[in-house]
Amino acid sequence: MTDPEATDPDASDPEQSETAASQTAEGDAGLALERTSLSWTRTAISFAALGGVVLKENVITGLIVLAVVPLVWRLGRPPRSGSPPGGLPTVGGRRIRLITVSIVGVSLLSLLVAVLGPSVPGALHR
Amino acid sequence: MSRSGRFAAWWPGGATDPEEGHEPDPRFTFANERTFLAWSRTALALVVAGLGIVQLLPPFPGVPIGRHLLGVPLIVLGAVLAIVAYGEWVRNQRALRRGDPLPRSVMPWILGATIAGMAIISAIVLLVSALR
Repeated sequence: MTDPEATDPDASDPEQSETAASQTAEGDAGLALERTSLSWTRTAISFAALGGVVLKENVITGLIVLAVVPLVWRLGRPPRSGSPPGGLPTVGGRRIRLITVSIVGVSLLSLLVAVLGPSVPGALHR
Repeated sequence: MSRSGRFAAWWPGGATDPEEGHEPDPRFTFANERTFLAWSRTALALVVAGLGIVQLLPPFPGVPIGRHLLGVPLIVLGAVLAIVAYGEWVRNQRALRRGDPLPRSVMPWILGATIAGMAIISAIVLLVSALR
């Protein structure tokens, strides 16, 4: 039999409960940072995959896309700075804007390759 | 909201009083960032799919522009999705700072409608190709 007081959060010491909650929050914040960092890494890998596909069709454009990969990976690394009251996180906002611009640029390059580049019909069958 | 006001609401700090709001819980900020990154990867996947269709698929007999008809909209959707994802990130971050309810996302609607449209176009291209 378990002691009901041991499992009931309301029945425990409020000070201990607050400390436990604080530790949990800190732990979660740490994992959130790690998950976000991994998410940046996955995004960099996605850029690499796109670069590989483009490289097959157009070497220069593919190399341009691949050059974005270390940039994206690096963007996921900088220390988080606090944001000013009422504003968005300064560093975060700039990073997010850079990623958006990169994706739009890469999309436009891919569009040019798709429309103007020489296609390899049936390449999947070879 | 006016058109310029709507644009300003998408730009960080553009429509926000510097004295307004407070730093949100970092976990929420990170979650918002991860959501943006997930949409970014979706956008990149669409670009890869579009490029693959145009460059790698064999031509559809009787439909010379069939591959472009399927691939180009996917690439364009990738670019659009990246821009809209940025706008969503800004709106969510602003709502978090102000303690407002999170705004409803239009991204699933855009993606769902476009995929449905692409499915219809694909079916038409395949049918026309099969009949010729």
